[in-house]
Amino acid sequence: MPEALLRAERISVRYGRVDALHPLSLAAEPASLTLVLGPNGAGKTTLMKALAGAVELRSGAIWLRGREISALPAHRRVRTGIALVPEGRGRLPGLTVLDNLVLGHNGASRERRRARDGDIDEALALFPALKPRLNQDCSTLSGGEMQMLAIARALLAKPHILLLDEPSLGLAPLAIARVYEALAKLLDQGLGMVLVEQKAVPLRAARETTIVLRNGRAVFQEARRPDVDELAQLYLGARAA
Amino acid sequence: MDATARLRLERAVLAAVAAGIVLAPFVGTRLIIYNLTITALYAMVVVSLNIILGLAGQVSFAQTTFMAIGGYGSAILTTELGFDPVLAIIVSAALALVAALVIGAPLLRLRGHYLAMATFALALGTNSFVTAATPLTNGSIGISGVPPLAVAGHAVDTAFSYYVLSWTACAVAMAIFALLARSHIGRAWRAVATGQEIAASLGIDVTRAKLMAFAIAAVIASVAGSLYVEFTSFVGPDLYDIGIVLNVFLMLFIGGRGSLAGPVVGAAVLTFAPQFLAGLQQYQNLVFFGVLLILILVWPSGFFGRSRDSGPLREILPLWLRRRGVAR
Repeated sequence: MPEALLRAERISVRYGRVDALHPLSLAAEPASLTLVLGPNGAGKTTLMKALAGAVELRSGAIWLRGREISALPAHRRVRTGIALVPEGRGRLPGLTVLDNLVLGHNGASRERRRARDGDIDEALALFPALKPRLNQDCSTLSGGEMQMLAIARALLAKPHILLLDEPSLGLAPLAIARVYEALAKLLDQGLGMVLVEQKAVPLRAARETTIVLRNGRAVFQEARRPDVDELAQLYLGARAA
Repeated sequence: MDATARLRLERAVLAAVAAGIVLAPFVGTRLIIYNLTITALYAMVVVSLNIILGLAGQVSFAQTTFMAIGGYGSAILTTELGFDPVLAIIVSAALALVAALVIGAPLLRLRGHYLAMATFALALGTNSFVTAATPLTNGSIGISGVPPLAVAGHAVDTAFSYYVLSWTACAVAMAIFALLARSHIGRAWRAVATGQEIAASLGIDVTRAKLMAFAIAAVIASVAGSLYVEFTSFVGPDLYDIGIVLNVFLMLFIGGRGSLAGPVVGAAVLTFAPQFLAGLQQYQNLVFFGVLLILILVWPSGFFGRSRDSGPLREILPLWLRRRGVAR
Protein backbone atom coordinates (compact mmCIF):
# COMPACT_ATOMS: atom_id res chain seq x y z
CA MET A 1 0.00 0.00 0.00
CA PRO A 2 1.45 3.37 -0.92
CA GLU A 3 2.13 5.72 1.96
CA ALA A 4 -0.77 8.09 2.74
CA LEU A 5 -0.19 11.85 2.54
CA LEU A 6 -1.09 12.22 6.22
CA ARG A 7 -1.41 9.31 8.57
CA ALA A 8 -2.14 9.40 12.28
CA GLU A 9 -1.93 6.12 14.14
CA ARG A 10 -3.80 5.79 17.47
CA ILE A 11 -2.99 9.31 18.63
CA SER A 12 -4.33 10.41 22.02
CA VAL A 13 -4.06 13.55 24.14
CA ARG A 14 -4.42 14.01 27.85
CA TYR A 15 -4.81 17.32 29.73
CA GLY A 16 -3.75 16.60 33.30
CA ARG A 17 -6.03 13.75 34.29
CA VAL A 18 -8.59 14.31 31.58
CA ASP A 19 -8.49 12.26 28.41
CA ALA A 20 -9.22 14.93 25.82
CA LEU A 21 -8.72 12.61 22.90
CA HIS A 22 -8.92 8.82 23.03
CA PRO A 23 -6.74 6.86 20.58
CA LEU A 24 -7.80 7.78 17.06
CA SER A 25 -6.39 6.91 13.66
CA LEU A 26 -6.92 8.69 10.40
CA ALA A 27 -5.40 8.97 6.95
CA ALA A 28 -5.74 11.72 4.35
CA GLU A 29 -4.81 11.84 0.67
CA PRO A 30 -4.30 14.69 -1.78
CA ALA A 31 -7.64 16.30 -2.72
CA SER A 32 -9.38 14.41 0.08
CA LEU A 33 -11.64 15.87 2.73
CA THR A 34 -11.66 14.62 6.30
CA LEU A 35 -14.64 16.18 8.01
CA VAL A 36 -14.57 16.21 11.80
CA LEU A 37 -17.92 16.90 13.44
CA GLY A 38 -19.02 16.92 17.05
CA PRO A 39 -20.57 19.03 19.79
CA ASN A 40 -18.65 21.55 21.91
CA GLY A 41 -15.94 19.99 24.01
CA ALA A 42 -15.87 16.79 21.99
CA GLY A 43 -12.14 17.06 21.31
CA LYS A 44 -12.22 18.50 17.79
CA THR A 45 -9.82 21.36 18.50
CA THR A 46 -7.61 19.01 20.50
CA LEU A 47 -7.37 16.70 17.49
CA MET A 48 -6.35 19.65 15.27
CA LYS A 49 -3.78 20.84 17.81
CA ALA A 50 -2.41 17.33 18.06
CA LEU A 51 -1.97 17.14 14.29
CA ALA A 52 -0.41 20.64 14.15
CA GLY A 53 1.89 20.04 17.11
CA ALA A 54 0.37 22.59 19.48
CA VAL A 55 -0.25 19.91 22.12
CA GLU A 56 1.86 16.92 23.04
CA LEU A 57 0.69 13.44 22.13
CA ARG A 58 0.17 10.99 24.95
CA SER A 59 0.43 8.10 22.56
CA GLY A 60 0.52 7.30 18.87
CA ALA A 61 2.42 8.79 15.96
CA ILE A 62 1.83 11.02 12.93
CA TRP A 63 3.43 10.69 9.48
CA LEU A 64 3.38 13.23 6.69
CA ARG A 65 4.42 11.92 3.28
CA GLY A 66 6.09 8.99 4.95
CA ARG A 67 8.08 11.07 7.40
CA GLU A 68 7.29 10.84 11.09
CA ILE A 69 6.51 14.31 12.41
CA SER A 70 5.11 13.54 15.88
CA ALA A 71 8.28 14.70 17.64
CA LEU A 72 8.53 18.02 15.77
CA PRO A 73 7.41 21.23 17.50
CA ALA A 74 4.58 23.17 15.84
CA HIS A 75 6.77 25.72 14.06
CA ARG A 76 8.83 22.98 12.39
CA ARG A 77 5.84 20.85 11.54
CA VAL A 78 4.49 23.69 9.35
CA ARG A 79 7.59 23.45 7.20
CA THR A 80 7.00 19.77 6.50
CA GLY A 81 3.71 20.72 4.83
CA ILE A 82 0.89 20.74 7.36
CA ALA A 83 -0.68 24.12 8.15
CA LEU A 84 -3.32 25.02 10.71
CA VAL A 85 -5.97 27.72 10.42
CA PRO A 86 -6.70 28.07 14.13
CA GLU A 87 -10.05 28.37 15.82
CA GLY A 88 -10.98 32.04 16.19
CA ARG A 89 -8.96 32.91 13.07
CA GLY A 90 -5.82 34.12 14.89
CA ARG A 91 -6.20 37.85 14.43
CA LEU A 92 -2.92 39.74 14.99
CA PRO A 93 -3.76 43.39 15.76
CA GLY A 94 -1.07 45.89 14.82
CA LEU A 95 -0.05 43.91 11.75
CA THR A 96 -1.30 44.78 8.28
CA VAL A 97 -2.86 42.28 5.91
CA LEU A 98 0.42 42.18 3.98
CA ASP A 99 2.41 41.64 7.21
CA ASN A 100 0.19 38.64 7.92
CA LEU A 101 0.84 37.16 4.50
CA VAL A 102 4.58 37.72 4.76
CA LEU A 103 4.54 36.03 8.18
CA GLY A 104 2.63 33.12 6.69
CA HIS A 105 5.47 32.60 4.31
CA ASN A 106 7.68 31.89 7.33
CA GLY A 107 6.31 28.38 7.29
CA ALA A 108 7.39 27.76 3.72
CA SER A 109 10.50 25.78 2.96
CA ARG A 110 13.72 27.66 2.31
CA GLU A 111 13.71 27.25 -1.48
CA ARG A 112 10.09 28.32 -1.60
CA ARG A 113 10.71 31.57 0.25
CA ARG A 114 12.46 33.10 -2.77
CA ALA A 115 9.15 32.94 -4.62
CA ARG A 116 7.38 35.01 -1.96
CA ASP A 117 5.78 37.72 -4.08
CA GLY A 118 4.41 35.20 -6.56
CA ASP A 119 2.99 33.11 -3.74
CA ILE A 120 1.32 36.15 -2.19
CA ASP A 121 -0.26 37.04 -5.55
CA GLU A 122 -1.52 33.49 -5.86
CA ALA A 123 -3.12 33.60 -2.40
CA LEU A 124 -4.70 36.96 -3.22
CA ALA A 125 -6.11 35.57 -6.46
CA LEU A 126 -8.09 33.12 -4.34
CA PHE A 127 -9.35 35.91 -2.05
CA PRO A 128 -9.55 39.08 -4.19
CA ALA A 129 -11.46 40.84 -1.37
CA LEU A 130 -8.15 41.15 0.52
CA LYS A 131 -6.35 42.93 -2.30
CA PRO A 132 -7.54 46.50 -1.62
CA ARG A 133 -6.86 46.01 2.09
CA LEU A 134 -3.20 44.97 1.92
CA ASN A 135 -1.90 47.91 3.95
CA GLN A 136 -4.76 47.99 6.41
CA ASP A 137 -4.36 46.83 10.01
CA CYS A 138 -5.93 43.37 10.14
CA SER A 139 -7.92 44.39 13.23
CA THR A 140 -10.12 46.45 10.87
CA LEU A 141 -11.19 43.40 8.83
CA SER A 142 -14.63 41.87 9.14
CA GLY A 143 -14.93 38.32 10.44
CA GLY A 144 -15.28 36.92 6.93
CA GLU A 145 -12.29 38.86 5.61
CA MET A 146 -10.21 37.80 8.59
CA GLN A 147 -11.10 34.16 7.95
CA MET A 148 -10.00 34.57 4.35
CA LEU A 149 -6.77 36.15 5.54
CA ALA A 150 -6.20 33.32 8.03
CA ILE A 151 -6.61 30.78 5.22
CA ALA A 152 -4.45 32.77 2.78
CA ARG A 153 -1.78 33.12 5.47
CA ALA A 154 -1.77 29.37 6.08
CA LEU A 155 -1.60 28.67 2.33
CA LEU A 156 1.59 30.72 2.06
CA ALA A 157 3.36 27.96 3.96
CA LYS A 158 2.63 25.88 0.82
CA PRO A 159 1.05 23.02 2.76
CA HIS A 160 0.07 19.62 1.42
CA ILE A 161 -2.50 19.33 4.19
CA LEU A 162 -4.62 22.18 5.49
CA LEU A 163 -6.19 21.90 8.94
CA LEU A 164 -9.21 24.19 9.40
CA ASP A 165 -10.74 24.62 12.85
CA GLU A 166 -14.35 25.83 12.55
CA PRO A 167 -13.81 28.37 9.78
CA SER A 168 -17.53 29.22 9.62
CA LEU A 169 -17.87 30.03 13.33
CA GLY A 170 -19.59 33.38 13.83
CA LEU A 171 -19.64 34.31 10.14
CA ALA A 172 -22.55 35.68 8.13
CA PRO A 173 -24.05 33.21 5.59
CA LEU A 174 -22.61 35.12 2.64
CA ALA A 175 -19.11 35.07 4.14
CA ILE A 176 -19.44 31.34 4.85
CA ALA A 177 -20.39 30.77 1.22
CA ARG A 178 -17.31 32.70 0.03
CA VAL A 179 -14.99 30.77 2.34
CA TYR A 180 -16.38 27.41 1.22
CA GLU A 181 -16.16 28.43 -2.41
CA ALA A 182 -12.43 28.99 -1.92
CA LEU A 183 -12.02 25.71 -0.01
CA ALA A 184 -13.70 23.84 -2.87
CA LYS A 185 -11.19 25.34 -5.30
CA LEU A 186 -8.31 24.30 -3.07
CA LEU A 187 -9.62 20.73 -2.92
CA ASP A 188 -9.80 20.73 -6.72
CA GLN A 189 -6.18 21.84 -6.84
CA GLY A 190 -5.24 18.74 -4.88
CA LEU A 191 -4.88 20.05 -1.34
CA GLY A 192 -5.74 17.55 1.40
CA MET A 193 -8.05 18.99 4.03
CA VAL A 194 -9.02 18.19 7.58
CA LEU A 195 -12.04 20.33 8.42
CA VAL A 196 -13.63 20.77 11.82
CA GLU A 197 -17.18 22.07 12.01
CA GLN A 198 -20.11 21.77 14.40
CA LYS A 199 -22.70 21.16 11.74
CA ALA A 200 -23.00 19.88 8.19
CA VAL A 201 -20.95 21.69 5.54
CA PRO A 202 -21.69 22.45 1.88
CA LEU A 203 -18.36 21.03 0.78
CA ARG A 204 -17.93 17.78 -1.13
CA ALA A 205 -14.89 15.88 -2.28
CA ALA A 206 -14.53 12.74 -4.35
CA ARG A 207 -12.68 11.14 -1.49
CA GLU A 208 -13.94 11.94 1.93
CA THR A 209 -14.18 10.60 5.45
CA THR A 210 -16.44 11.86 8.20
CA ILE A 211 -15.44 11.50 11.81
CA VAL A 212 -17.88 12.34 14.60
CA LEU A 213 -16.31 12.97 17.98
CA ARG A 214 -18.08 12.83 21.30
CA ASN A 215 -16.36 13.09 24.66
CA GLY A 216 -12.97 12.68 23.00
CA ARG A 217 -13.94 9.46 21.19
CA ALA A 218 -14.66 8.81 17.53
CA VAL A 219 -18.22 7.51 17.58
CA PHE A 220 -18.48 7.49 13.79
CA GLN A 221 -15.76 7.16 11.17
CA GLU A 222 -16.89 6.27 7.68
CA ALA A 223 -16.54 7.26 4.04
CA ARG A 224 -20.17 8.47 3.96
CA ARG A 225 -21.81 11.30 5.84
CA PRO A 226 -24.34 10.62 8.57
CA ASP A 227 -27.80 12.02 7.83
CA VAL A 228 -29.42 14.57 10.12
CA ASP A 229 -31.19 12.06 12.38
CA GLU A 230 -28.12 9.92 12.70
CA LEU A 231 -26.00 12.95 13.53
CA ALA A 232 -28.45 14.04 16.22
CA GLN A 233 -28.26 10.59 17.75
CA LEU A 234 -24.47 10.62 17.64
CA TYR A 235 -24.34 14.05 19.27
CA LEU A 236 -26.79 13.04 21.98
CA GLY A 237 -25.00 9.80 22.67
CA ALA A 238 -27.59 7.20 21.63
CA ARG A 239 -26.06 4.23 19.80
CA ALA A 240 -26.08 4.61 16.07
CA ALA A 241 -27.84 1.85 14.25
CA MET B 1 -6.99 58.81 16.96
CA ASP B 2 -6.35 56.62 13.91
CA ALA B 3 -3.04 55.09 12.95
CA THR B 4 -1.92 57.76 10.47
CA ALA B 5 -2.79 60.64 12.80
CA ARG B 6 -0.90 58.94 15.62
CA LEU B 7 2.10 58.37 13.38
CA ARG B 8 2.03 62.03 12.29
CA LEU B 9 1.85 63.19 15.92
CA GLU B 10 4.69 60.87 16.86
CA ARG B 11 6.85 62.19 14.01
CA ALA B 12 6.08 65.78 15.01
CA VAL B 13 6.99 65.10 18.64
CA LEU B 14 10.13 63.27 17.53
CA ALA B 15 11.16 66.28 15.46
CA ALA B 16 10.41 68.66 18.34
CA VAL B 17 12.39 66.48 20.77
CA ALA B 18 15.33 66.34 18.37
CA ALA B 19 15.25 70.13 17.94
CA GLY B 20 15.08 70.60 21.71
CA ILE B 21 18.06 68.30 22.24
CA VAL B 22 20.12 70.18 19.66
CA LEU B 23 19.20 73.60 21.08
CA ALA B 24 19.41 72.75 24.79
CA PRO B 25 23.22 73.15 25.14
CA PHE B 26 22.98 76.74 23.87
CA VAL B 27 20.24 77.85 26.21
CA GLY B 28 20.07 75.31 29.04
CA THR B 29 21.62 75.60 32.49
CA ARG B 30 24.22 73.09 33.71
CA LEU B 31 21.53 71.32 35.70
CA ILE B 32 19.28 70.96 32.66
CA ILE B 33 22.15 69.58 30.57
CA TYR B 34 22.99 67.12 33.36
CA ASN B 35 19.40 65.97 33.62
CA LEU B 36 19.07 65.66 29.87
CA THR B 37 22.16 63.44 29.80
CA ILE B 38 20.57 61.21 32.43
CA THR B 39 17.36 61.30 30.38
CA ALA B 40 19.21 60.03 27.30
CA LEU B 41 20.74 57.11 29.21
CA TYR B 42 17.46 56.13 30.85
CA ALA B 43 15.67 56.50 27.53
CA MET B 44 18.09 53.87 26.18
CA VAL B 45 17.08 51.48 28.95
CA VAL B 46 13.41 52.22 28.22
CA VAL B 47 14.04 51.52 24.52
CA SER B 48 15.51 48.15 25.54
CA LEU B 49 12.41 47.36 27.61
CA ASN B 50 10.32 48.51 24.66
CA ILE B 51 11.91 45.81 22.50
CA ILE B 52 11.11 42.99 24.87
CA LEU B 53 7.77 44.33 26.18
CA GLY B 54 6.54 46.72 23.48
CA LEU B 55 7.43 44.54 20.50
CA ALA B 56 7.74 40.96 21.73
CA GLY B 57 5.10 41.39 24.47
CA GLN B 58 7.13 39.73 27.22
CA VAL B 59 7.12 41.20 30.74
CA SER B 60 10.70 41.24 31.98
CA PHE B 61 12.05 43.06 35.03
CA ALA B 62 15.64 42.22 34.13
CA GLN B 63 16.64 45.55 32.57
CA THR B 64 18.28 46.95 35.74
CA THR B 65 20.16 43.67 36.16
CA PHE B 66 21.69 44.11 32.71
CA MET B 67 22.35 47.80 33.54
CA ALA B 68 24.17 46.57 36.64
CA ILE B 69 26.29 44.18 34.57
CA GLY B 70 27.23 47.11 32.33
CA GLY B 71 27.76 49.51 35.24
CA TYR B 72 29.72 47.25 37.56
CA GLY B 73 31.46 45.59 34.63
CA SER B 74 32.79 48.92 33.39
CA ALA B 75 33.69 50.14 36.88
CA ILE B 76 35.59 46.99 37.84
CA LEU B 77 37.29 46.51 34.49
CA THR B 78 38.55 50.11 34.34
CA THR B 79 39.52 50.73 37.99
CA GLU B 80 40.78 47.26 38.94
CA LEU B 81 42.07 45.85 35.67
CA GLY B 82 43.02 49.04 33.86
CA PHE B 83 40.81 48.40 30.82
CA ASP B 84 40.20 51.17 28.35
CA PRO B 85 36.66 52.49 29.07
CA VAL B 86 35.46 51.74 25.53
CA LEU B 87 36.78 48.18 25.72
CA ALA B 88 35.16 47.85 29.16
CA ILE B 89 31.77 48.77 27.64
CA ILE B 90 32.19 46.11 24.95
CA VAL B 91 33.35 43.38 27.36
CA SER B 92 30.51 44.21 29.79
CA ALA B 93 27.96 44.10 26.97
CA ALA B 94 29.30 40.68 25.94
CA LEU B 95 28.90 39.52 29.54
CA ALA B 96 25.32 40.83 29.57
CA LEU B 97 24.64 38.96 26.33
CA VAL B 98 25.94 35.70 27.77
CA ALA B 99 23.93 36.27 30.97
CA ALA B 100 20.79 36.96 28.92
CA LEU B 101 21.21 33.76 26.91
CA VAL B 102 21.89 31.67 30.03
CA ILE B 103 18.95 33.16 31.96
CA GLY B 104 16.63 33.44 28.98
CA ALA B 105 17.06 30.04 27.33
CA PRO B 106 15.29 28.03 30.05
CA LEU B 107 12.83 30.78 31.09
CA LEU B 108 11.61 31.73 27.64
CA ARG B 109 10.64 28.16 26.82
CA LEU B 110 7.80 28.60 29.27
CA ARG B 111 4.65 30.54 28.55
CA GLY B 112 2.67 32.61 31.00
CA HIS B 113 3.95 34.61 33.94
CA TYR B 114 7.16 32.70 34.61
CA LEU B 115 9.40 35.25 32.92
CA ALA B 116 7.89 38.13 34.90
CA MET B 117 8.15 36.22 38.19
CA ALA B 118 11.69 35.01 37.63
CA THR B 119 13.04 38.35 36.40
CA PHE B 120 11.36 40.14 39.30
CA ALA B 121 13.28 37.85 41.63
CA LEU B 122 16.39 38.63 39.59
CA ALA B 123 15.80 42.38 39.95
CA LEU B 124 15.38 42.01 43.72
CA GLY B 125 18.47 39.80 43.90
CA THR B 126 20.66 42.17 41.88
CA ASN B 127 20.63 44.88 44.52
CA SER B 128 21.27 42.38 47.33
CA PHE B 129 24.03 40.68 45.38
CA VAL B 130 26.05 43.82 44.61
CA THR B 131 25.63 44.93 48.23
CA ALA B 132 26.85 41.60 49.56
CA ALA B 133 29.64 40.80 47.08
CA THR B 134 31.99 43.26 48.79
CA PRO B 135 35.32 41.94 47.41
CA LEU B 136 34.06 42.46 43.89
CA THR B 137 31.76 45.46 44.21
CA ASN B 138 32.91 47.24 47.40
CA GLY B 139 29.46 46.58 48.90
CA SER B 140 27.19 49.46 49.81
CA ILE B 141 30.02 52.00 49.46
CA GLY B 142 30.25 51.32 45.74
CA ILE B 143 33.12 52.10 43.38
CA SER B 144 34.08 55.69 42.66
CA GLY B 145 36.68 57.21 40.38
CA VAL B 146 35.51 55.40 37.26
CA PRO B 147 37.44 57.09 34.43
CA PRO B 148 35.59 58.91 31.66
CA LEU B 149 35.45 57.63 28.12
CA ALA B 150 37.88 58.57 25.41
CA VAL B 151 36.71 58.47 21.82
CA ALA B 152 39.45 58.57 19.17
CA GLY B 153 41.94 59.96 21.65
CA HIS B 154 39.66 62.73 22.93
CA ALA B 155 38.52 62.32 26.51
CA VAL B 156 34.77 62.72 26.84
CA ASP B 157 34.95 64.50 30.16
CA THR B 158 33.03 67.75 29.79
CA ALA B 159 29.29 67.99 30.45
CA PHE B 160 28.75 69.02 26.84
CA SER B 161 30.75 66.18 25.27
CA TYR B 162 29.01 63.64 27.45
CA TYR B 163 25.68 65.14 26.51
CA VAL B 164 26.48 64.66 22.82
CA LEU B 165 27.76 61.14 23.39
CA SER B 166 24.70 60.05 25.43
CA TRP B 167 22.20 61.35 22.91
CA THR B 168 24.16 59.77 20.07
CA ALA B 169 24.04 56.43 21.89
CA CYS B 170 20.32 56.91 22.55
CA ALA B 171 19.69 57.75 18.89
CA VAL B 172 21.52 54.58 17.87
CA ALA B 173 19.37 52.52 20.25
CA MET B 174 16.24 54.15 18.81
CA ALA B 175 17.41 53.46 15.27
CA ILE B 176 17.99 49.80 16.19
CA PHE B 177 14.48 49.70 17.64
CA ALA B 178 12.95 51.26 14.51
CA LEU B 179 14.81 48.88 12.19
CA LEU B 180 13.90 45.83 14.25
CA ALA B 181 10.24 46.90 14.48
CA ARG B 182 9.99 47.04 10.69
CA SER B 183 12.01 43.92 9.98
CA HIS B 184 10.88 40.35 9.68
CA ILE B 185 11.78 39.64 13.30
CA GLY B 186 9.69 42.67 14.37
CA ARG B 187 6.66 41.20 12.62
CA ALA B 188 7.35 37.86 14.23
CA TRP B 189 7.64 39.54 17.67
CA ARG B 190 4.27 41.20 17.25
CA ALA B 191 2.72 37.85 16.34
CA VAL B 192 4.34 36.30 19.42
CA ALA B 193 3.04 39.18 21.57
CA THR B 194 -0.53 38.53 20.45
CA GLY B 195 -0.53 34.76 20.59
CA GLN B 196 2.33 32.32 20.87
CA GLU B 197 0.25 29.44 19.56
CA ILE B 198 -0.78 31.41 16.46
CA ALA B 199 2.83 32.48 15.95
CA ALA B 200 4.03 28.88 16.13
CA SER B 201 1.35 27.82 13.65
CA LEU B 202 2.89 30.31 11.21
CA GLY B 203 6.26 28.61 11.47
CA ILE B 204 7.79 31.09 13.93
CA ASP B 205 10.23 29.60 16.44
CA VAL B 206 8.63 31.34 19.42
CA THR B 207 11.36 30.54 21.95
CA ARG B 208 14.10 31.76 19.62
CA ALA B 209 12.21 34.97 18.78
CA LYS B 210 11.72 35.77 22.46
CA LEU B 211 15.32 34.94 23.28
CA MET B 212 16.50 37.30 20.54
CA ALA B 213 14.45 40.17 21.98
CA PHE B 214 15.71 39.39 25.48
CA ALA B 215 19.36 39.30 24.34
CA ILE B 216 19.24 42.47 22.22
CA ALA B 217 17.50 44.31 25.06
CA ALA B 218 20.16 43.09 27.50
CA VAL B 219 23.01 44.45 25.37
CA ILE B 220 21.37 47.88 25.00
CA ALA B 221 20.64 48.10 28.74
CA SER B 222 24.19 47.06 29.55
CA VAL B 223 25.71 49.76 27.30
CA ALA B 224 23.41 52.35 28.89
CA GLY B 225 24.50 51.12 32.33
CA SER B 226 28.18 51.45 31.38
CA LEU B 227 27.73 54.95 29.95
CA TYR B 228 25.82 56.04 33.05
CA VAL B 229 28.60 54.92 35.38
CA GLU B 230 31.36 56.40 33.24
CA PHE B 231 29.39 59.66 33.15
CA THR B 232 28.86 59.95 36.92
CA SER B 233 32.22 58.16 37.64
CA PHE B 234 30.46 56.17 40.36
CA VAL B 235 28.60 52.89 40.74
CA GLY B 236 26.69 51.66 43.79
CA PRO B 237 23.83 49.31 44.70
CA ASP B 238 21.25 52.13 44.88
CA LEU B 239 21.44 52.54 41.11
CA TYR B 240 19.88 49.10 40.74
CA ASP B 241 17.22 49.23 43.42
CA ILE B 242 13.93 47.50 42.58
CA GLY B 243 12.30 50.95 42.41
CA ILE B 244 14.51 51.84 39.44
CA VAL B 245 13.18 49.03 37.27
CA LEU B 246 9.66 50.05 38.19
CA ASN B 247 10.53 53.61 37.13
CA VAL B 248 11.72 52.25 33.79
CA PHE B 249 8.34 50.54 33.38
CA LEU B 250 6.58 53.79 34.31
CA MET B 251 8.66 55.68 31.73
CA LEU B 252 7.60 53.19 29.06
CA PHE B 253 3.94 53.28 30.07
CA ILE B 254 3.89 57.10 30.03
CA GLY B 255 5.56 57.19 26.63
CA GLY B 256 3.60 54.35 25.13
CA ARG B 257 4.55 50.74 24.55
CA GLY B 258 5.72 49.95 21.06
CA SER B 259 6.30 53.57 20.04
CA LEU B 260 9.61 55.08 18.94
CA ALA B 261 9.44 58.52 20.60
CA GLY B 262 7.66 57.30 23.74
CA PRO B 263 10.73 56.22 25.73
CA VAL B 264 12.36 59.67 25.40
CA VAL B 265 9.19 61.42 26.53
CA GLY B 266 8.69 59.00 29.43
CA ALA B 267 12.31 59.22 30.54
CA ALA B 268 12.26 63.04 30.37
CA VAL B 269 9.06 63.28 32.41
CA LEU B 270 10.37 61.05 35.19
CA THR B 271 13.85 62.60 35.23
CA PHE B 272 12.57 66.15 35.51
CA ALA B 273 9.49 65.45 37.66
CA PRO B 274 11.45 65.26 40.97
CA GLN B 275 12.59 68.90 40.49
CA PHE B 276 9.00 70.01 40.37
CA LEU B 277 8.00 67.68 43.15
CA ALA B 278 10.88 68.74 45.42
CA GLY B 279 8.46 69.72 48.18
CA LEU B 280 6.88 66.28 48.06
CA GLN B 281 10.16 64.37 48.38
CA GLN B 282 8.92 61.61 50.65
CA TYR B 283 5.76 61.19 48.62
CA GLN B 284 7.58 60.92 45.31
CA ASN B 285 7.04 57.18 44.91
CA LEU B 286 3.42 57.56 45.94
CA VAL B 287 2.95 60.15 43.19
CA PHE B 288 4.84 58.05 40.58
CA PHE B 289 2.97 54.86 41.19
CA GLY B 290 -0.33 56.65 41.61
CA VAL B 291 0.32 58.02 38.12
CA LEU B 292 1.09 54.49 36.84
CA LEU B 293 -2.17 53.19 38.29
CA ILE B 294 -4.19 56.00 36.74
CA LEU B 295 -2.40 55.52 33.41
CA ILE B 296 -3.25 51.83 33.29
CA LEU B 297 -6.87 52.53 34.18
CA VAL B 298 -7.43 55.46 31.85
CA TRP B 299 -4.73 55.53 29.22
CA PRO B 300 -3.03 52.13 29.04
CA SER B 301 -1.42 52.68 25.65
CA GLY B 302 0.41 55.83 26.83
CA PHE B 303 1.34 58.89 24.84
CA PHE B 304 1.96 57.22 21.46
CA GLY B 305 0.91 53.67 22.20
CA ARG B 306 -0.11 51.38 19.39
CA SER B 307 -2.87 49.71 21.33
CA ARG B 308 -6.33 51.10 20.70
CA ASP B 309 -7.35 49.90 24.12
CA SER B 310 -9.09 52.75 25.89
CA GLY B 311 -8.54 51.38 29.39
CA PRO B 312 -10.97 49.85 31.85
CA LEU B 313 -11.92 53.10 33.56
CA ARG B 314 -12.75 54.94 30.35
CA GLU B 315 -14.96 52.04 29.37
CA ILE B 316 -16.62 51.49 32.73
CA LEU B 317 -17.02 55.06 33.98
CA PRO B 318 -19.47 56.30 31.31
CA LEU B 319 -21.54 53.15 31.83
CA TRP B 320 -21.57 53.67 35.56
CA LEU B 321 -22.49 57.34 35.24
CA ARG B 322 -25.26 56.51 32.80
CA ARG B 323 -26.70 53.96 35.14
CA ARG B 324 -26.75 56.56 37.93
CA GLY B 325 -28.53 58.96 35.62
CA VAL B 326 -25.63 61.44 35.83
CA ALA B 327 -24.82 61.35 32.13
CA ARG B 328 -26.52 60.13 29.03
